[in-house]
Amino acid sequence: MGYIELDVLDNQPKRVVIGIDLGTTNSLPAIWKDGRPEVLRIEGEPALVPSVVHVRNDGTAIVGRTARAQALDDPEHTIHSVKRFMGQSLSDVDPAVLDRLPYSVTETDRGLVQINVHDKSFSPQELSALILREVAAQASVAMGGAEIMSAVITVPAYFDDAQRQATRDAARLAGIEVLRIVNEPTAASLAYGLDQRKEGNVAVFDLGGGTFDVSILSIEDGIFQVLSTNGDTHLGGDDVDAVLMDMIRQEAEGSAKPSTFDDPSYRQGARLASEKAKIALSSKPEAELVLSLPEFGVNVRKRITREEFDAAITPLVDRSIKSCAQALEDAGLETKDIDEVVLVGGSTRIPLVRAQVEQFFGRTPHTELNPDEVVALGAAAQAEILMGGSRDILLMDVTPLSLGLETVGGAAEKLVQRNSRIPCSITEGFTTYVDGQTAIEFHVLQGEREMAADCRSLGRFKLTGIPPMPAGLAKVGVKFHLDADGILTVTAKEESSGQTASIEVKPSHGLTEEEVDVMLQQSFDNAKRDFEERRRVDLIAEIGTMLRHTEANLDVAREHLDRESVEDLEEAIAAAKAAGKSIELDEVQAARDVLDRATIPLAAVLMDGVVKQAVAGKKLGDV
Amino acid sequence: MASPCSECRAKLETPLACGDCGVLMEVPNGPGAAQPTPFELLALETAMAIDPEMAKKRLRRYTRLVHPDFYAMAGDEQRARAEAHNARLNAAYDLVIDDMARADWLVLHLGGPTEKELGAMPQSFLMEVMEWNEILEENAPGSQCLANLTEELRQHRDGLMGSVTAALTPLPEAGAPVLQDVRKLLNALRYVDRALARATGAAAAH
Repeated sequence: MGYIELDVLDNQPKRVVIGIDLGTTNSLPAIWKDGRPEVLRIEGEPALVPSVVHVRNDGTAIVGRTARAQALDDPEHTIHSVKRFMGQSLSDVDPAVLDRLPYSVTETDRGLVQINVHDKSFSPQELSALILREVAAQASVAMGGAEIMSAVITVPAYFDDAQRQATRDAARLAGIEVLRIVNEPTAASLAYGLDQRKEGNVAVFDLGGGTFDVSILSIEDGIFQVLSTNGDTHLGGDDVDAVLMDMIRQEAEGSAKPSTFDDPSYRQGARLASEKAKIALSSKPEAELVLSLPEFGVNVRKRITREEFDAAITPLVDRSIKSCAQALEDAGLETKDIDEVVLVGGSTRIPLVRAQVEQFFGRTPHTELNPDEVVALGAAAQAEILMGGSRDILLMDVTPLSLGLETVGGAAEKLVQRNSRIPCSITEGFTTYVDGQTAIEFHVLQGEREMAADCRSLGRFKLTGIPPMPAGLAKVGVKFHLDADGILTVTAKEESSGQTASIEVKPSHGLTEEEVDVMLQQSFDNAKRDFEERRRVDLIAEIGTMLRHTEANLDVAREHLDRESVEDLEEAIAAAKAAGKSIELDEVQAARDVLDRATIPLAAVLMDGVVKQAVAGKKLGDV
Repeated sequence: MASPCSECRAKLETPLACGDCGVLMEVPNGPGAAQPTPFELLALETAMAIDPEMAKKRLRRYTRLVHPDFYAMAGDEQRARAEAHNARLNAAYDLVIDDMARADWLVLHLGGPTEKELGAMPQSFLMEVMEWNEILEENAPGSQCLANLTEELRQHRDGLMGSVTAALTPLPEAGAPVLQDVRKLLNALRYVDRALARATGAAAAH
């Protein structure tokens, strides 16, 4: 395995940075190697991790393929598509989506989405962290054991601040340093641009498992400048599945008991059957929706033609095309100005999607690059840039949504317009409107709507410590800074007095700093517990071997050892047998150590015997 | 301005970073400090008439010098400086490329009146604005009436902006009386732009 390069000077492994496409359905690592990005492979197969977490009865979690294999047998405890809940309140989620889920989703006391498995609740960040950890583990295997500490992680371009922040928190929980959050279509364009060596205006159409983005870029002299982006973070293959699930339900409605549709087994079965038919319809003119659950009185076998399928999903595809039109307008371009169209994401395999995109842009889209791999490849290329490997390429990205503050009348005042290039800073002046006012509250918003209530609430913060003075005299500068990850930091200071004012930020949809710390602690505790558990099991196995060996030679011991040593040994054996059932690591460890010590005299006798036997009949010089 | 690079003494194009040795410069910050102007940041002549292609080229060229991607491994301080410099550069470009923002900045830079100082508009102009608003309210999106109004507003805008550019070219002296006229034109332009946004926004929605 040639991936771990050693720095000759201090003989330390070089820092390994990978690119990770953290997808709704699948996640994939890639790395820069020999001047180009490549997907990491294990035994020739991409190190792909299905974004599925299964929690077993004992509370331990498994991730990826083995987790996905549990989908039908244990649907309630097998979580898919958690990306759709990142940075979301339960009220953000379409109730119809919840009605199709085989697992339980409720809200925290702050209204955030939580996923309930057995008697534990997980935040989407924690589940994503488990997926990221597995991706890093797979990447490590693919690279012959190199430790993955840092990564570039991709997110949908249309992710808002809370969703980006949630992704960053997930990486933190997974113990991965995020070098950069990169927008998926931007990453894809980078991989495409590097591969095809083409320049001009490019439209990237990215329809994945759960999210949709379109970005318009200009590629010139190695500069990839995003001109505009648009999308929908709740539009993807899952929604196509949902259309087919509704068809299954219609068919089953007559014969099945009403409670059937709430049952996790039904929901998971219908989802997987729909997914299967959807995939078949991409290559065949017709497919069958098949779901047989005799225990519920469900026996669906429905033929569906490509035409019927197309008609059913047209509203979804139309939504994506509408976003394309908006993105073009925001870029100040027309379809004739677009030189290339690049398709990204598994859902762009749907023929209707391809046809509609082709019709809208008036040109055949590019499909040379694997739509499932191109985002991870771009992330790896970005990792290389960040590591200082290349200064020829530069990504200039934009923020997808406008940012602003709520004004007194409940309107949204925009400070940063959508499609502004990042990083970006804007400072706006505010003042007090009551004599002696010492605090001002701000409500930070994201979105395009006119009224604050219709925009996304990112958080509220309170500036305190303003010295008392007549109304209108205080000069408070509020600074919005969007960093290169597209994540917002708000700072404020009172300028006329020079007195420091402090800010308290309450995120509306994200985890607070304390919550992240608690989760981090828990994950350390869990890691410690996991480690201790493994050690206990190993020790018990070791005790077992020692006991077998000792008891087999107990007669030898009784014959050759003094009474005291024999008694010690017998006591140690009894204690070790009891400890084999203990759940306390300390007890098991102590019993093993006592047994180990008590067997020393016996070992000496046995050794002696072995030596005598070995040298018997041999001359001293042969030994 | 035009102090050389603090590291290699090369002549600086932009005060943000050295094109020769690639070092990020320290840029004065905080109240009272003389900040480089948007035109200086982009190494463009301070003028109302600009070459947008040149501005775009400069933006890209200097972004190559200051983008935080190139400072990811350079430590927190350098990274923060790159973030701040790139944000400055982006803001400068946004101002320079926008005719309203550019004209507004030039008037203030030359000591001319603020928007509010000459906020009162002539009666006849306000009557005209009310007529636009009536058309905007009474006509359905996509109607011929709105299309006509949009065309009228566009011509109106081009005329006003042409006068602004003429008055600011060559750049008048600081405090010159012509700045008063420019400010009045700009205030009228705000009304036109608002009506235009409503007209085209209405046409674009649904």
